[in-house]
Amino acid sequence: MAATGGFVETDNAEAIITRIEHKSRKIESLLKQSKPVEALKTALEGSPPMTRDERCKSANWIVVHRAIMAIKDVDGLLSSLDAEYYDILMKYLYRGLSTGDRPTCDQCLRIHEKLTERAGLGCILRSLADTVNAV
Amino acid sequence: MANTLRLYLTCIRNTLEAAMCLQNFPCQEVERHNKPEVELKTSPELLLNPVLICRNEAEKCLIETSINSLRISLKVKQADELENILTKKFLRFLSMRAEAFQVLRRKPVQGYDISFLITNYHYEDMQKHKLIDFIVQFMEDIEKEISELKMSVNTRGRLVATEFLKQFI
Repeated sequence: MAATGGFVETDNAEAIITRIEHKSRKIESLLKQSKPVEALKTALEGSPPMTRDERCKSANWIVVHRAIMAIKDVDGLLSSLDAEYYDILMKYLYRGLSTGDRPTCDQCLRIHEKLTERAGLGCILRSLADTVNAV
Repeated sequence: MANTLRLYLTCIRNTLEAAMCLQNFPCQEVERHNKPEVELKTSPELLLNPVLICRNEAEKCLIETSINSLRISLKVKQADELENILTKKFLRFLSMRAEAFQVLRRKPVQGYDISFLITNYHYEDMQKHKLIDFIVQFMEDIEKEISELKMSVNTRGRLVATEFLKQFI
């Protein structure tokens, strides 16, 4: 099971990276049209689930980071975001908090507080406990 | 500035509330032993993802959880050489008296200034929200303590210098 999974991944790594590049172009255009909420939704949508490849994860993180930094209205974002994206967003927030870069951390802390109020502690615990789909 | 401190502490408080889910778990490898799994890290299935929460380049907090223990490591802001020395001495003073604090670790984790180790036994004896309040309060007070110490060192230095140099007037 693990072997076949590995085989599929190496095959798809290039495909995933191209997909991420497509996504980033779409997000850039959405941001130009000042639609940061849509941009973040697009960024979180295609999150590679079972990839072990660090490059795919980093590439996806860069895209999500761009979308997160463009958000100004946190409440509006959370009210329009579907509940299924809360868990993925929380994982990316923790990745952002671990970078140590001041503006990223400020933004992530702001969103983290509002997201916890909305999604509850279960969201945090799921991001801690999920060792398989680490972001 | 105060706002980011508040957000930082809220984030840490929420993460601790979620991460502090400890239960008794005897050691899997050795009979009749009960060890804090977060320290040994022998079995990956017993560990959760470690979480690093940074406020800025200088301050951060690492929270590592396992099934029966939780380790919190803090790095405190040190603006200049004097604060560096004061922080090190003050936190070393506290760590040496870790027995009195119960949840304090004798040596901080590599790369951090001070560490706490909370096991399921602490969790059984003490209340969860009180433990979390203690840690967050500790973080708030550390900054105040260090700035007070710095001010008293500077004041004393100034007084001593004034007195000493009076004889040369």
